[in-house]
Amino acid sequence: MKAIGNWSKEILLILMALVFLSPIYIIFINSFKNRLELYDNTLAFPEEFSLQYYSAAMQRMDFLNAFLNSIYVTVVSVVFIVILSSMTAWMLARSGNWVSTVIFMTLIATMLIPFQTIMMPLMQMVTGITRTTGIPLYNTLSGLIFMNIGFHAALSVFLYHGFIKSIPISLEEAATIDGATKFGVFWRVVFPILTPITATVMILNVILIWNDFLLPSLTLIDKDLRTIPLSVFYFFGEFTIEWNLAMAGLTLTIIPVVIFYIIAQKYIIKGIGEGAVK
Amino acid sequence: MANRKKIGWYLIFTVPLLLIFTLIVLVPFVIGIYYAFFQWDGIGANPMVFNGLDNFVRLMEDERFLRSTWLTVLFTVLSVITVNAVGLAFALLVTSKLKLANLARTMLFMPYLIGGLILGYIWQFVFLDVFTLIGDVTGLESIFFNWLNNEDFALFALVFVFTWQMAGYVMIVYIAGIQGIPGEVIEAARIDGASGWQRFLRITVPLLMPAFTISLFLTLSYGFKIYDVNLSLTGGGPANATELFAMNIYNEIFGYGNYGYGQAKAIVFFVIIAAITLTQVYITKKKEVEM
Amino acid sequence: MAFNKKFVTGMTFAATISLLAACGGGGGDEGGSEGGSGEQSQGISIFQTKVEISEQLEAAAEAYTEETGVPVEVIGTTGDDYAQQLQIRLNNGTGPSIMSVQNAEVAERLESYLYDLSGEDFVSNIAPDMELMLDDKLVGVPYSVEGFGIVYNTEMVDPADIQDYDSFVSTLEDFNAEGINGFGLSSEAYFLIGHISNYPFSLQEDPVEFMEQLSNGEVTLTETEEFQRFGEFMEAIRDNTPTPLNTTYDTQVGDFAAGQTAMIHQGNWAAGMLDEFEVDFEYGMAPFPLEGNDKLAVGVGSNWAVNAEKDQAEIDAAIEFLDWLHNSETGQRFIVEEFGFIPAMTNIEAGDLDPLSQAVLEASNSGETIPWSHNYYPANVVPNDFTPVAESFFVNEDMTGEELVENLQAAWENAAQ
Repeated sequence: MKAIGNWSKEILLILMALVFLSPIYIIFINSFKNRLELYDNTLAFPEEFSLQYYSAAMQRMDFLNAFLNSIYVTVVSVVFIVILSSMTAWMLARSGNWVSTVIFMTLIATMLIPFQTIMMPLMQMVTGITRTTGIPLYNTLSGLIFMNIGFHAALSVFLYHGFIKSIPISLEEAATIDGATKFGVFWRVVFPILTPITATVMILNVILIWNDFLLPSLTLIDKDLRTIPLSVFYFFGEFTIEWNLAMAGLTLTIIPVVIFYIIAQKYIIKGIGEGAVK
Repeated sequence: MANRKKIGWYLIFTVPLLLIFTLIVLVPFVIGIYYAFFQWDGIGANPMVFNGLDNFVRLMEDERFLRSTWLTVLFTVLSVITVNAVGLAFALLVTSKLKLANLARTMLFMPYLIGGLILGYIWQFVFLDVFTLIGDVTGLESIFFNWLNNEDFALFALVFVFTWQMAGYVMIVYIAGIQGIPGEVIEAARIDGASGWQRFLRITVPLLMPAFTISLFLTLSYGFKIYDVNLSLTGGGPANATELFAMNIYNEIFGYGNYGYGQAKAIVFFVIIAAITLTQVYITKKKEVEM
Repeated sequence: MAFNKKFVTGMTFAATISLLAACGGGGGDEGGSEGGSGEQSQGISIFQTKVEISEQLEAAAEAYTEETGVPVEVIGTTGDDYAQQLQIRLNNGTGPSIMSVQNAEVAERLESYLYDLSGEDFVSNIAPDMELMLDDKLVGVPYSVEGFGIVYNTEMVDPADIQDYDSFVSTLEDFNAEGINGFGLSSEAYFLIGHISNYPFSLQEDPVEFMEQLSNGEVTLTETEEFQRFGEFMEAIRDNTPTPLNTTYDTQVGDFAAGQTAMIHQGNWAAGMLDEFEVDFEYGMAPFPLEGNDKLAVGVGSNWAVNAEKDQAEIDAAIEFLDWLHNSETGQRFIVEEFGFIPAMTNIEAGDLDPLSQAVLEASNSGETIPWSHNYYPANVVPNDFTPVAESFFVNEDMTGEELVENLQAAWENAAQ
């Protein structure tokens, strides 16, 4: 009896998830249709599942190059974000003085600033720095990475900060008594405990950076530096969209993130489990 | 001596990030504040005329801005409620012992993987084709019609899509929180005879407070700042019924070419939402249970 | 715990690698960015709105580089954010050497960035009145000639039946009775109100002067006859057709191609999409009969302009490129065949044209046209002010055409201040 109850629950859960996902069905199905088919019925199956729009999209996007650029920017940005923001968050959370409070509040307050209001001064500054000091911030992937770190710092510190507050301080104190430096304590004791939140921070930042259009479009000029979202622009005309190519491009864009998410989400659960066992 | 060492470590841990952050976010923001006191169209070569507080006075009488502010607040409040309710429900579901929970967890998170612009276009199809289809089939045409063309419903359409996109996102935060609750605590409560609902209200909810802080804040900040879904789903229409705040500023700056005035709006709004959200963080942080 | 250690080791390793890579990558990038402005020959960059020709323009740029050795970088953008990106680029000194300027209103804002092309050779070939002038300076070279009007299905509509208000409305009513959409607009700003709002302006004796007077408050729309008639037209359209707000550009053209709409308000640019829909009937373009108007609205969608802030070498290189594009055989081939433009130059022969472009070309050659007034509207008045007005007009069935014009008047005042 109970087995049947569980069964129906399982089915219900998946059904619900499927309904929830149905708009993605629209994306997928229409990446195989020409304009006429799309017009006839948005929801119907295509006449044939041919990959022609995928290969056309890949070609026009210069997919491999864009993919490598995106991977490079995303991986390096996220690694820096994880390292720097976990360290910062730990310091801010564990030293309860007013400076830390002010810094923390400033960080989270800036999460409320719409990007549109700072993009102009930002770009003026960035090109100004490039021109006067020669530090290549503008039109380079490294510059984009640098800006990504700045923009995603607040969210990451915020997430780490909340998590660190919830873990017992006793372990750190024990390690300190054993004579470890702050650096040692953090990397050997604290950071491993942070694994689940690190996975969360990584997932959220990977998605934000992977999908970001506005910042790369402002900072990158050279064609061979384009990231994936930038290279999709061909399919968006002034008044109209080449739906099949845009949808194919979009599907190609999100597949890597889905794979990453599936891998990374295990760490959220596992990490927590092991953290509790100690 | 020890104190000096402590400060040294403090600086080593925090300065690299804060330096980058200051340069990339804070400095441009402060420069933006400076522009708010000028009459300027945002073209470098064109004259910038200092006009003191005129921009700030003017926006008190700007009906379109006031309406947009009200719509944004309404949108955000509704979204915060729906996103968190749905997200928490999802989190509870997928952390239950069901076998397919892992699969469901991935599927429920997928909407967030899609960038906002294209998402709005997809939902246009849904409202136009699917909603009208459901209306035809079920006869519930008063509920299922193209919400996007109705001045009253377009905002709900936006809330709907935003919820769809963000629920999976806050779900992750809640999952992390739920997994962090030691099994023994819940087990002990069960042995003491607490019902499922009681266990949820008395144990799960209080211990989830940190997750609430984070999720509420994230949805608030994303809600207030929403732009690309707004642009691609409704474009602010019909008849400006969904012109939310970020779009209003954007139109002011790049549409009407009032850069200084747009910045003034941005700052006033920033002060308001900062006050609201920081209060929220402060309150919920206080309620967190220290472990 | 063992797992966590592995994770940390992995992370640290990844961090080290990427740090190294970042430094290495930084070096590599530098080379890349300098390539654009290398010493050997002055490179140029192009930033433009018309995404539809991006790829072809890149091909043209390559062909040019091959012929002359001058590197040309085409910067990508989606049509939507062009204006914003251009503004940011100009402000931080990284503006392109060649940019597109849509109309006089934009040119005025960007005045200090627009190089005076008056003396250049190739501009003498620009068709009469097609150049973009700012005072007495020639600042923009037209992309192409474009035109809009009523695109009709020849099997369903006889142009003789839509020559004035009465016949137009009775045609709409007939179609309505048959369950066919007589006249399709679509929900996007320019297709909903932007283009169609041209007629009452363009029928004024001197549209530009009229708009100036309007902005100064010397005339009002409500008191102008063409606008009163325009209100009546819009009311008739709303009352006899399904709401355009449920229609996108795609479905508008699709409905027409499927025979569900007899006429749509569109331009010759829609021909490409009609092809994609595999239309199996003939179609043509007819004038919109406001006050008996019998002319198509013909104008220029966008213009090439040269960035005056660049140093002289780059400006010269940019002019060379435009000269090549409009004077060389290869360049002209790109304009006609690859971009699919109706050339706005007297020295370029139009290629094989679709029926809509043919109609526009003929009108343009005979001079039987009315101008595009929307190029002189206050900046962005169409998406920002007119569109909300039109949306509420189509949503609220009880709003009259007269009220529509009143609201357009208010919208204009708001934008012109």
